[in-house]
Amino acid sequence: MKRRNFIELCMAGSAALLADTGCKQPAPSFKGGITGAAAQTGHLLRDLKTFPVPQTYETIHTVIAGAGISGLSAGRWLYKYGKEDFTILELEDHAGGNAANGKNEVSAYPLGAHYIPIPNNHLTEYLDFLQESNVLQYQNGEQLPFYNEEYLCADPQERLFINGTWQEGLVPVKGITKEEQPQFQKFFALMEHYRYLKDAEERYIFDIPVDRSSTDAAYTRLDTITMDSWLREQGLTAPALRWYVNYCTRDDFGCNAASVSAWVGIHYFASRKGKGTNATHSDVITWPQGNGYLVEQLKKDIDKKIRVNSLVLSVFQKDKKIAIHYLDVKSKQVKGLLAEKCILATPVFITGKLLKDQQAFNAYKEKFIYTPWVVANLKLRQPSVSSWPGMCWDNVIYNSNSLGYVDATHQLVDQLTPYKNITYYLPLTDTDATTARMAAYKTSYDSWCRQVLDDLKTAHPKIEDDLEEINITVWGHAMPKPLPGHIFGAFRKVLHQPVNDQLFFAHTDYAGISIFEEGFYQGIEAAQKIIHAS
Amino acid sequence: MRLPKSNNQLILLLAVFVIASCGLIYELVAGTLASYVLGDSVTQFSTIIGVYLFSMGIGSFLSKYLERHLLSWFIKIELLVGLIGGFSAVILFYVFPLAASFRIILYALVCITGILVGLEIPLLMRILQGKVAFKELVSRVFTFDYIGALLASLIFPLVFVPQLGLIKTALFFGMMNTLVGLYLSLRFRPELKNHRALTAASVSIILIQLIAFVYADRIMEQAETNGFADNIVYAKSTPYQRIVVTSNKRETRLFLNGNLQFSSADEYRYHEALVHPALSSVSNRSNVLILGGGDGMAAREILKYPDVTSITLVDLDPAMTRLFSTQERFSQLNDHSLQNKKLTVLNADAFTWLRKSEQNFDVVVIDFPDPSNYSIGKLYSNTFYTTLFNRLKAGGIAVIQSTSPYVAPNSFWCVDTTLRSSGFITKPYHNLVPSFGDWGYILAMKDSTKQWFSQLPPHLRFANRQSIEQMFYFPPDMHPTKKLTINKLNNQSLVTYFEDEWSHYLDS
Repeated sequence: MKRRNFIELCMAGSAALLADTGCKQPAPSFKGGITGAAAQTGHLLRDLKTFPVPQTYETIHTVIAGAGISGLSAGRWLYKYGKEDFTILELEDHAGGNAANGKNEVSAYPLGAHYIPIPNNHLTEYLDFLQESNVLQYQNGEQLPFYNEEYLCADPQERLFINGTWQEGLVPVKGITKEEQPQFQKFFALMEHYRYLKDAEERYIFDIPVDRSSTDAAYTRLDTITMDSWLREQGLTAPALRWYVNYCTRDDFGCNAASVSAWVGIHYFASRKGKGTNATHSDVITWPQGNGYLVEQLKKDIDKKIRVNSLVLSVFQKDKKIAIHYLDVKSKQVKGLLAEKCILATPVFITGKLLKDQQAFNAYKEKFIYTPWVVANLKLRQPSVSSWPGMCWDNVIYNSNSLGYVDATHQLVDQLTPYKNITYYLPLTDTDATTARMAAYKTSYDSWCRQVLDDLKTAHPKIEDDLEEINITVWGHAMPKPLPGHIFGAFRKVLHQPVNDQLFFAHTDYAGISIFEEGFYQGIEAAQKIIHAS
Repeated sequence: MRLPKSNNQLILLLAVFVIASCGLIYELVAGTLASYVLGDSVTQFSTIIGVYLFSMGIGSFLSKYLERHLLSWFIKIELLVGLIGGFSAVILFYVFPLAASFRIILYALVCITGILVGLEIPLLMRILQGKVAFKELVSRVFTFDYIGALLASLIFPLVFVPQLGLIKTALFFGMMNTLVGLYLSLRFRPELKNHRALTAASVSIILIQLIAFVYADRIMEQAETNGFADNIVYAKSTPYQRIVVTSNKRETRLFLNGNLQFSSADEYRYHEALVHPALSSVSNRSNVLILGGGDGMAAREILKYPDVTSITLVDLDPAMTRLFSTQERFSQLNDHSLQNKKLTVLNADAFTWLRKSEQNFDVVVIDFPDPSNYSIGKLYSNTFYTTLFNRLKAGGIAVIQSTSPYVAPNSFWCVDTTLRSSGFITKPYHNLVPSFGDWGYILAMKDSTKQWFSQLPPHLRFANRQSIEQMFYFPPDMHPTKKLTINKLNNQSLVTYFEDEWSHYLDS
């Protein structure tokens, strides 16, 4: 036998041997589970009708229900103005709401909201907060802020998997036809036009907070149609552009372009006007833990005032005060608080359940349709530089149901770590929200993993080779859909009205869209009312 | 035992032929590996041949203690030689990082194979004893033995090492040995009581060797063994990088992820140019920081200044600093600088370490790899240099290796632009390092009052006042070709320049 033949035979033999072991279905080589949002505790409120009444009441000047961004911002503002007699009740075992984060030995990673755009320069309180948080500073008497470059999203930022390869940026370029190209130009030109457009009263048409925007009927009309109808009106029908716009509205609002209000859809592109000495409105600020960084900053002085694992059961008037009953989840005891003032920093669907005598909340219940979201955090081995080439901060797969994934380790300045954490986002917008939510609660861990991996395999066929862990977070009620009428319909204002100067409401649900700035100002506004009243 | 028939005799003699080839191959594999790894091939080959022949003598001596079941013994020995010899190269490559134990294991392997091979011929002669006239027997056995040896000594350097490499060559001959064992146990089934066991054993050994043969191919990474011109004397994948050291008669070379870091032939030109312009110009240099430089070469140059009292060396990869401090072969290249009492080695990430450090330094020597990816690009960013600025004492000086200003002028001047944007006054320079090409460095300081190059240590091979002074002139072909952007975390402009310039250079 010739040597070469012999070697070939050896190779074939060994290959057969290896192939044989490969045929057996291997057990999943990764670990993990479903974590996050304490849906079970929350559902006590829905399922159990009666709780014992507390024997005694603790007296506190202000009670804030909910330690999401609005609640924390309210607490921070009260503290800042010397109103230290308050407490914040939070159902979860941690503060943060949608901006909460997880952590493993590799890095922290987001469980929900994970970045903020460069803030608009007239938001003084917000800029002050970001300055306190070491996100920006003013150098040498400059008017514009200088952003901390460690927090500005590092390069390379975004890429899109389209037609079998990755391209730089999220706006589709590869395989775009000559007919489609001018539509992108027209679309972006329109958005640029809207960005700086003002009405007769010098109000921006699209501003942040939303309620500072112009109420000129010429533009509020946009809140009566969907984004898709508006695109059609403008003759913007290119499939690639439609995909891009739909991606953006799902990303920010958990709502398809087919159903989202056109005003809200345009707001996403045109409301950002921020500028710094080293940043523009198109830049974003992010951290490994996502907006968990800002949660830490919001609560740094008021951490001791937050009572976690505290499920608020009911809020009502009692002897000219506000009584709050809550379940201490750990001790399983119902406790009572008597407050002069109360801020309900909870989503509308919860607030309606807490205030049993508030007719308005029941009347407008159907206006708030909450999109469920699923977030998966994957821990990946990264044995060599070449194993995840070109990974950007944001990595999106064209025509996928998901929003792709962000690399939580992207902002780390450390040299190559042996692992990466990536965070995968999936808003469940395919079926109606209730059906999607019920199905989501029933879906098993294995089934989520399969869905996530099947999607990621489009771009990373061998992802399982590097996979060590997947943790799934299901957000049953991530955010309400900003459908037409959501912004300029009257119901948000009706619900937002304080009751008897005692009960205040602060939540992005009242703002119309779920973005950090809105929550931040919702909290400040409620706190200011309490500060001014006393 | 029954008499073997005459064609059985021929088979046994052919076995002698194969055995002889295999035996010599294992000896050659050990000798070659030892000279790759330990250098000095004359000594290595000489001692290994000596030990091997002596061990064969021990084997021949021991053969008299084997009384019965000679054929069965012969097959068992055959299988053992196949197993041990076949895996000898794998074992030796694997234990090389264990430093001190390498020689012990090397000679132990040579001994064991020698003894086993030494047992074979006497056993075979006893098996054939009485079937053939003694003078015929001796003549035939040794004829085949020596022919086998000749064949092995020719095909080993001409065919096997170039085609298969050492690991696979050894495994291939291991399989040959085992196949002889398998063939004999099948052929002489009736004479062997334990033929089932022997057959099973040989089949399993062949299978293990087959798998190793395929696997060896993967771990050695074909591209790597083909990509390096010289012999690989050390190769290790760490969580951070792939470290490969190659060697030939003239020089030792270190590669990280396939990129040349130094050649022992001219690294003094690089390291003297990196260290001395900075160190010789400052009045105070008691506390020195080295970032990167895990090979200890920069530390070697810094230790030439007796007034340096402490050196902190921060290198990411413990495997690098361990290699260059504990392996004599490599630590002799840096004059054992990593074992010096003035030096503290920290295995940490330079960026995070520098930011957390509360210590300030008189001199900082930065010897990072070139900014060929985004991860390393962060170590050349304005954010990093601002941190560096805060850690440098008022009269202090830093020096940064900044890639080739000839191949990548925009990259080189981008580092300069970035340093200046972070508040440094800079003084760029370059010299010729034949293995690399024309190489660039940048001096960075807070104030420009220095006693330039006034305190050079004696006996430097490249750096003196004249050679240093002429390094600061940049001819027009090393000037930037466009207006350059500051390298920031959120634009990584340097990585873009670098990729553009180097890929252009390497393509042409």
